Amino acid sequence: MTIDVLDPTHGEEHPELQPVDRLTSLDGLTVGIVSNGKQGTRPFFDAFERELRDTYGVAEVVRRTKTNYSAPADPEIMDEATEWSALVSGIGD
Amino acid sequence: MAPVVDQLQSRRFTLDAAHEAQEFYHSRGWSDGLPVVPPTPEAVAACLDWVGLPPDHLVGVEPVRQRAITAEKVAINAVMAGCLPMHMPVLVTAITAMLSEPFGVHGATASTGGSAILLVVNGPIRAEVGMTSTFNAAGPSDRATTVIGRAVRLVVMNLLDVRPGGIDRSTFGHPGKISFCVAEDEEHSPWLPLAAERLTPAGVDPAMAYDPATSAVTAMAAMAPRQIMNEWTTEPERILDTYVAEIRANMRHYSIWPGHYAIVIPPQLRAHFEAAGWSKADIRAYVFSRARIRREEWSEVGKGAVVGDKGDREYQALPDEDHLLVVAAGGPAGGFGLVIPPWLGPKSRAVTVPVGACVDC
Repeated sequence: MTIDVLDPTHGEEHPELQPVDRLTSLDGLTVGIVSNGKQGTRPFFDAFERELRDTYGVAEVVRRTKTNYSAPADPEIMDEATEWSALVSGIGD
Repeated sequence: MAPVVDQLQSRRFTLDAAHEAQEFYHSRGWSDGLPVVPPTPEAVAACLDWVGLPPDHLVGVEPVRQRAITAEKVAINAVMAGCLPMHMPVLVTAITAMLSEPFGVHGATASTGGSAILLVVNGPIRAEVGMTSTFNAAGPSDRATTVIGRAVRLVVMNLLDVRPGGIDRSTFGHPGKISFCVAEDEEHSPWLPLAAERLTPAGVDPAMAYDPATSAVTAMAAMAPRQIMNEWTTEPERILDTYVAEIRANMRHYSIWPGHYAIVIPPQLRAHFEAAGWSKADIRAYVFSRARIRREEWSEVGKGAVVGDKGDREYQALPDEDHLLVVAAGGPAGGFGLVIPPWLGPKSRAVTVPVGACVDC
């Protein structure tokens, strides 16, 4: 005897987000780095910033830190991010 | 209006036989590893009928990823967890509490710290749905607490996509992540129920203002419970010193940050507090004043590298007295107690919601 059962998930109701168009170059652009605020991010993003400047010609790197590493970035950071060409967000423990 | 069973919007799957349901759900990652009850449209409709909610009723929206959770989806996961329709009011209340912004469910369920969602249930609904508060109170004490706690976990997995290795990045997790639900023993306690204290506005005497007909659920992002024992004193202060020692140990070994701690006090120890005339407020005040460490203590437990020049700084376990959740529960014999530490200090707040409350009506 057959049995009908239901999907306990959102199924296809929430299609995966699509990535924005990729940048072809970072030369002369402004890139934001948003840290979750944990200690491990500091040396990593220090090195990452140098790499962005020295290897990829990034003109300006803006460093910001979330006030709560378990919550989304603060609204002020997201507002400011609209002025950046790219944003790199990462966690560190 | 069409019968509820015809209003359901979720995808339906037709299986050749009932026994195929187990592998169907497990193979899709839709279970916690334990067997599930097949969520048939009829069983789901019965849950919605009981709680009086239409399928598309919005129970809440997860604040970070904006996932909307409807009553229909909660009911499906409830059936899978083994819930009966009469369990739905408690479950819907628990989900409402969990989705409130102060609880911070995304961080609490995604963190490497690996917390579980502890539920404490108060009020007449405990007896109505068959919850018990004595033997094995923090474990599988009865059907209702076990399946309701499990349903919360299935909702987190299936509706917030919090699965191990995906959004759930827990290094260890703990067994409470399967189910962690405690019903407070109000009948054998001299104290006000937890919900009475937490739902009463500041400055108002909860003993006068709280309606005993109120049922409520408190949700807290909780680490694994730690059991203490002190059967060698009748003095409240000495009993609490043992609880405090465990809280201080947590601050030394795990996290120094202040937040909600829950302590569970069994009948054998409650008798001593009652004889001495101690209220929950007295207990909170005592613990608040003593559950503190200095940062330099970290050097005694291998964490000297991060003491820095802050060794003399004092850290308190509780931001204030109200951050201690005092719960009466446990079997009749044994001078044991539980300390349930927070997931991570101030990143998540315990939330209490009355059963039947509508947060957006």
